[in-house]
Amino acid sequence: MRQAYIQTPCYTGDVSGACSALYELGGMTVMHDPSGCNSTYNTHDEIRWYDRESLIFLSGLTDLDVILGDDERLIGDVCRAAEALHPAFIALVNSPLPWLNGTDFDAVCRLIGERTSLPAFHVPTNGMHDYVRGAGLALETWARHFVKEPRAGREKGKIRANLMGLTPLDFALRDTVSSLRSLLSEAGFEPWSFWAMDDDPENLKRASEADVSLVVSAAGLRAARFLERTFGVPYLAAFPAMGIRDRVWSLLEETASSGKSRSLSHALDLGKEEEGALFLVGEPVTMGSLAAAVHARTGRPCRVLVPLEETETLLGPCFTRVSGEEEIRRALKGAGAVLADPMYRPLVPEGADLVPLPHLAYSGRIFLKEIPDLTAFVPEGL
Amino acid sequence: MIKLAFYGKGGIGKSTLVSNLALLLAERGLRVVQIGCDPKADSTRFLREGKSLPTVMDKIRERVPFALSDVLIRGREGVLLAEAGGPLPGRGCAGRGIITALEKLEELGLYETCRPDVVLYDVLGDVVCGGFAMPMRSSYAERVYILTSGEAMSVYAAANIAMALKSFEGRGYADLGGFILNRRDVPREEERVRDLAADFGAEVTGALSRSPKYQEAEEAGLPLVLLAPESPEAGELSALADAILPPEERKG
Repeated sequence: MRQAYIQTPCYTGDVSGACSALYELGGMTVMHDPSGCNSTYNTHDEIRWYDRESLIFLSGLTDLDVILGDDERLIGDVCRAAEALHPAFIALVNSPLPWLNGTDFDAVCRLIGERTSLPAFHVPTNGMHDYVRGAGLALETWARHFVKEPRAGREKGKIRANLMGLTPLDFALRDTVSSLRSLLSEAGFEPWSFWAMDDDPENLKRASEADVSLVVSAAGLRAARFLERTFGVPYLAAFPAMGIRDRVWSLLEETASSGKSRSLSHALDLGKEEEGALFLVGEPVTMGSLAAAVHARTGRPCRVLVPLEETETLLGPCFTRVSGEEEIRRALKGAGAVLADPMYRPLVPEGADLVPLPHLAYSGRIFLKEIPDLTAFVPEGL
Repeated sequence: MIKLAFYGKGGIGKSTLVSNLALLLAERGLRVVQIGCDPKADSTRFLREGKSLPTVMDKIRERVPFALSDVLIRGREGVLLAEAGGPLPGRGCAGRGIITALEKLEELGLYETCRPDVVLYDVLGDVVCGGFAMPMRSSYAERVYILTSGEAMSVYAAANIAMALKSFEGRGYADLGGFILNRRDVPREEERVRDLAADFGAEVTGALSRSPKYQEAEEAGLPLVLLAPESPEAGELSALADAILPPEERKG
C-alpha cells in the first residue's frame, strides 16, 4: 500500500493543471476526453468561471472514436469552434484514453493548424500525473510557441522580473497576484510578465526581454527553464513570504546579475532538530519560503514535505519528497506541529497541532474562503 | 540521420531483408541501428552473435529504471540492435507497446547517444492499429518500404499498408519509398508488383530472387550476405542497399 491514499485526497491532476495554466492566455483549450476530466476541472479545480470567460472545451470522446481511431470528428469540431470563436491559439490536452490509444496529437494539431491557420499545439498530459506537471508542461509548451526573440536596443533601467507559476491552484486568492506585483515594484524591480494570471499574453511573449524570472511555484519551473535555456534568462525559485522578503529580493538581484539560476530551498537552514519541528506539507516553493519565514521569526526548526511531482530540483536539505499516505504519516512522526491543508488532518500525529493553510489544488473549493493572500500569511500560534 | 521503416505481410522476409541491409550499410561505413518493432522480438536474431537482448517492454515490465545499454547491444559489424517487444501474448495492447517502446528508446537518448547515420525499423506485418503506424509518424521514419511478393495475399497486404500511408497525408508522416519485390515465382509476379507500385505513384525499388540460400543462411544462423557474400543473392541485396540509401544521402 505504499502509494495509496485512503483517508486523504490526491492533488489536482495534470489535465486540470494544463487547463488552469492556459485559462487566461486567449486560446481555445480542448480536453480530448469523454467527460471525466471536464467535470473534475469545472467542478473542483477552476474558480474563475464567474470572473472571466475562457474557451475551455471537452471533445466528448466516444468509445467508437477510440476503437475506430476516428480523429476526424475531433479535428472537425475543433475547426468549426475555432471558426466561430476566433481564439488566439488552439491547445489540445491529452487524457488517459487517447494516451492509451496512442492518438497522434502532433499530426492532429498539424491538420488543425493547416485548416484554421491558427497556432495549434498539444499538451502531453495523460491524466496520471499531478497539476504541477500539467501546468508546467502547458506553460512550457505555450512558451515554446509564442515567446519572441528579445528586441534590440534596450536602455538600462530597473531589473525586469518575470513571475512564473501563477495559477489559482496555488494562488486561489487573486489578491496574492496583485500583492506580488506591488511587492516587486516596491522592491525596485520592474514586474515584466506574469505566467499566467492577470497579465496580457502580449507581455508574456516578451518574457525573453526580462533579466530574471522569479519562480513562485513548481508549476512555473519548466517555463522558467525554457526561458533560461533559450534566451539566457536565469531564474530564482522562491516566494516572497512575509519575513524573508529582503532575502528573496537580494537573491533575485544576485541571480539577475550573475546569470546563475538557483533555488532558495538549497540555501535554507531550517534548524537541526526534527523532533518537535514544524512540518509544512505541500508545494515546495511556497511552503519552503513560509518555512524560512517561520524559522526566521521564531527560531523553530522546520521541515518541508513535498508530495508533488517534478519538484526534485527544488528540494533543499530540509525538504523530503514523499509519496502516499504511509510515507507522509511516517515522515510526520515526531512533528510538533503541521502546517498543511486541513484535509491532511488524518495524517497528523497525536499531540501535534494542525495549522491549516487550505490549498485549492488539494481540497478544492471546500475551504476556498479561508485561503489567504500568501504574501501576507503569518501562521498563527507558532 | 536517415530513418527508414520496412513493412509487409507477415512471413514475407522483412527481418531477413532488414538484417542484411543493416550489415551492408554498416560495411559501407555507416553507423546503423536496427529496431525490431514486433512483440515476437525476432528481428535482430541473426545479428546478435549469440548475445541476449532484453526487449524494451521486458525491461519496462520489471518496473525499475533502466539504461539504454540494458536494451541496446552491438551486433555483427557493429550494428546496434534493439527490440521493442510487447505485452505478454494474448494480453495488453501490442500496438501501444510499440509506441511505449519507441518513446522509451528516445527518452533513453538512443538518437543523441548513438548518433546513427541510419535507423532501420522492422515493423510487424500490417498497419493494424495506431501503434504499428508509430514508425511512420513524424520524427520517426522519413520513408517506408513495403516488401511484397506477387502472391495475392501479399499484394493485398502491401496495398493496405500503402493505403494507410496515403490516408496519413497532411500529418507529416513518412513518404512511400517504394515496393520491394521478394519473388515467390508466381505467375505474372513482376507485372503485379509493378502495377501495385504504379497505383500508388511509386516505384519497385528492387527485387530479390527466390533462393534456397536464404534457408541455408537461416540454418547457419547468419545473414545471407555473410554466408555467401559473393553470391548473386548478395549482389541483389547490395544493389537494394544502394537503391534505398543512395551514396549522396549517406552523409545525412
